[in-house]
Amino acid sequence: MSPAGLVVTTRGLDKQYGETAALSGVDAAIPAGATYGLVGPNGAGKSTLLGILAGLRAPTGGTVTVETPPERVAYLPDTPRWDPWLTAFEVVDLSRALTAPALSADRVATALGIAGLAEHAHRRNGGFSRGMLQRLGIAATLVSEPDLVLLDEPSSALDPVGRREVLDLITSMRGTATVVFSSHVLADVQEICNHIGILHRGRLIAQGPIAELLAGRAASATLVSLEGPEDARVVEAHLSSQPWVLAVRTAGSTVTLTAEDSGVVRRALPAALAAVGVPVVSMAPVEVTLEHVFLELTQ
Amino acid sequence: MTATPATQAPSRPMTLWRLEWLRMTRTKRWIAPVAVYTLFGLLGPVTERYLSELLTGLGGVEVVLPDPTPAGGFTQYVSNVSQLGVLAVVVIAASSLAVDQPPEMGVFLRTRVRSAVQLVMPRVGTVFAVAAAAWIIGALAAWYETTILLGGVSATAVAVGTAYGTIYLGFVVALVAAVAAFGRATMTTVLTSVAVLIALPVISLIPVVERWVPSELVGALDGVVAGAPLDGPLPAAVTATVAAAALITLAVRRVGTRDT
Repeated sequence: MSPAGLVVTTRGLDKQYGETAALSGVDAAIPAGATYGLVGPNGAGKSTLLGILAGLRAPTGGTVTVETPPERVAYLPDTPRWDPWLTAFEVVDLSRALTAPALSADRVATALGIAGLAEHAHRRNGGFSRGMLQRLGIAATLVSEPDLVLLDEPSSALDPVGRREVLDLITSMRGTATVVFSSHVLADVQEICNHIGILHRGRLIAQGPIAELLAGRAASATLVSLEGPEDARVVEAHLSSQPWVLAVRTAGSTVTLTAEDSGVVRRALPAALAAVGVPVVSMAPVEVTLEHVFLELTQ
Repeated sequence: MTATPATQAPSRPMTLWRLEWLRMTRTKRWIAPVAVYTLFGLLGPVTERYLSELLTGLGGVEVVLPDPTPAGGFTQYVSNVSQLGVLAVVVIAASSLAVDQPPEMGVFLRTRVRSAVQLVMPRVGTVFAVAAAAWIIGALAAWYETTILLGGVSATAVAVGTAYGTIYLGFVVALVAAVAAFGRATMTTVLTSVAVLIALPVISLIPVVERWVPSELVGALDGVVAGAPLDGPLPAAVTATVAAAALITLAVRRVGTRDT
């Protein structure tokens, strides 16, 4: 039984492939209704974790608790593919018949319409582009109105238009299902997810609401622009000696400093710059991205 | 031709049985066994009837063979079809019973069924139905040709012999299902299955087990048509049936537990 509010919980989850540890002690907690982004570089263990949650792979150790009944869980692999002689309608109808037979066949046409494949419904999928196959996979996923949707890199290797369409489709699932979405494209995850888990070499090194992770990590980075490189070096030397500064980096006439607390930066930085006595062109917080957090945690 | 609008559902809803039927018809893989069995069914009695004349005509030397008999028509059919026909069944079975080919299709199905039985049984059932139909069509063709060219044979013997052959094909399909559940490549499944089928007659060289080996069913049709006791191949039929059930169970268990 998972703690209240969690749809998926793993405890000390391990997966070994021979001598290689694909997952090691993963404690994941996925809240109900979340759009949970599972991020990490290739080989981090994202697909393995999703495969275990989908019941396709058996863990080597640890426990997995999925509160959603198996028939209410839908999984979409990174490169969905079907027997090429099946039409789009048949693929989605087969999915409906196996997972939600009580739903009428009209639901198939609706799902194909949502995925933008209505006019290709009776074409065989063997001639579909990669983007169309991905959208067909999403239609086959949506048709049964699942409660838990597991999407393994659904936007990888798509052109910008296809990627945008797939991201919009995933966004449209918000409020209707818990979505677990793996990707190594951090901008995609930051755009559509409200929770994230960061996998690195088989370990879940951070997870939680994305806003908290961004605020608690590199949120206090500040960029100071000065009139020239000489001024930047003077400011760098002064700021490096301040106890509230974690790191200072100079690039040309700019200085980027990182501190534990953005509030302290707002109070102490103007005084510190005034003490140096150099002209300041501008001073602004650096826009923090998931990429900053990811790099900070993994390097 | 009028295209079906997306909002109009096809008349028949999709099921796993319909999936297998479409696999058989749209890939046209049913043609191979039906063509092989029918062809040899028609040619076997012709060969029996005219073999002597054919050999004489080809070599210019008179070849003396035993007089053609109705049972000989079935012998020609069975001896010709027992290798190519079974090979055709093994090939279509291996390509249909590979649950994880392509792997993404396997994932699609595995994440939507409640039991591996749902994955295995429609495939086994459909392949067996096609194999049995091909064999029966071939036997009927051989019966017709034999009656026309060589004379009548016992309908009971033909029916019982054909039933034994059908049981053997069920065993073959079950064997391929079990082998396919352990391997991933179709060619490996074909070669392994053929190796097992070739090994069975070797086992039957042991006198104690000879009557019980499923491969004894291969020649059951021409044997009973030639006058052998109808219940002679019964032990082999029992073994084949029990072994088929065990092999299918093994296939289901293996498919259900395999990591993808």
